[in-house]
Amino acid sequence: MEDFKLRFYTNFIKDDRYMYLVTGLGNTLAITFLAVLLGIVLGFLVAIIRSTYDKTGKGRILNALCRVYLTVIRGTPMMVQLMIMCYVVFGNYNMSKLIVATLAFGINSGAYVAEIVRSGIMSIDPGQLEAGRSLGFGYTQTMWYIIMPQAFKNVLPALANEFIVLLKETSVCGYIGMMDLTRGGDIIRSRTYEAFMPLIAVAIIYLVMVIVLSWLVGKLERRLRTSER
Amino acid sequence: MSGKGEVLFEIQDLCKAFGSNLVLDHISTQIKSGEVVVIVGPSGSGKSTFLRSLNLLEIPTSGTISFEGQHITDKKTDLNRYRQKIGMVFQHFNLFPHKTILENLTLAPIKLLKKSREEAEKEARGLLARVGLEEKAGAYPAQLSGGQKQRIAIVRSLAMHPEVMLFDEPTSALDPEMVGEVLNVMTDLARDGMTMVIVTHEMGFAREVGTRVIFIDEGVIKEENNPKDFFEHPQNPRLQEFLSKII
Repeated sequence: MEDFKLRFYTNFIKDDRYMYLVTGLGNTLAITFLAVLLGIVLGFLVAIIRSTYDKTGKGRILNALCRVYLTVIRGTPMMVQLMIMCYVVFGNYNMSKLIVATLAFGINSGAYVAEIVRSGIMSIDPGQLEAGRSLGFGYTQTMWYIIMPQAFKNVLPALANEFIVLLKETSVCGYIGMMDLTRGGDIIRSRTYEAFMPLIAVAIIYLVMVIVLSWLVGKLERRLRTSER
Repeated sequence: MSGKGEVLFEIQDLCKAFGSNLVLDHISTQIKSGEVVVIVGPSGSGKSTFLRSLNLLEIPTSGTISFEGQHITDKKTDLNRYRQKIGMVFQHFNLFPHKTILENLTLAPIKLLKKSREEAEKEARGLLARVGLEEKAGAYPAQLSGGQKQRIAIVRSLAMHPEVMLFDEPTSALDPEMVGEVLNVMTDLARDGMTMVIVTHEMGFAREVGTRVIFIDEGVIKEENNPKDFFEHPQNPRLQEFLSKII
């Protein structure tokens, strides 16, 4: 027990080493949050372009561009995309690592969000579009007032899951020299030459965040299921 | 609003093909203001496609449709504005499930006719009272029976003050005991002088309320007549066969 106390002291308290975890966690949360926002914007845009093409045949070129985006992003590892973003795209610029990571993760997440949202749009009964159009709404208005709110509701659980995955995926940030939660724990390990304490602490923090998020998603899901029926 | 008896729809050589399947084969007819035109025919005959062509939910392959003298099949026509004048009631109601009944009725008037919320809601409540559903204003579509949903769908269209109402098999998805309540609303509407085009299998209704009955078979108008002669003295052998099967 004394030994455990000492190890805890060395790994976290001494030299304020817990600050590596705190700063890292802050970065992890910042990247996740900003990437989620970017992912939602990109994802909805791509989903609308793709489903508009599927339904009306309009926007061939945009649709083709979106398909290239989806294929490339979903066909290459996240870590490679992150390193390309850092060392190739912004290789010659002194860009903040936070922005680089946000861009890489947001663009990556957008591809997955797009397919989730598209499946949501396609799941809405075509009669809804027809009803909106016959009242005199244009295509965009019908999408905005009638189709998207329903589609969004249907895909909310799947979206939330995508963001839980994203949170964990940000752990590869260390590869571009960014201090996220995982990297923070690793730095402690390199100082104290002990793996158990810092890495288990990191794992527990991720686990707690994911459990809390999953719980929130479950709550949301139950609420959506009970409303309106 | 056009005067009674004026030609509203002028349909000429309307054709619609899905791939190589010709569903409408050179249909020509007129629909006048105040008419209640009932379209009957076997399933797959093209009657729904014809109705849906009238508000361009189906784009005709060839032929022209004009409304109040304006070619709506012309690419330059503002379709959204045109469709505001044409009410449409579907077999499967197509109410907006994420909105309350009141919101279903007020969405289009507020957004498209730029009415104030108060004005739109006041009118919506009046319409709900007209079909005996004012207490459902705050309910969601999923909480209503089929007959109630269809009555709501009808007043949702009426809230846009259409000049014509199109009905695409409005009672076909209903339990038998709910058919009457929907037909009653439609009968009242006809009595008020609304121009209506109705695709239905309700022959009793066609006979009572219709001013003209059209028989479509294999994409062609095989017979059209006033209801009395249509049902009592059918001329076309396909129509005779059709009527003998269903009455």
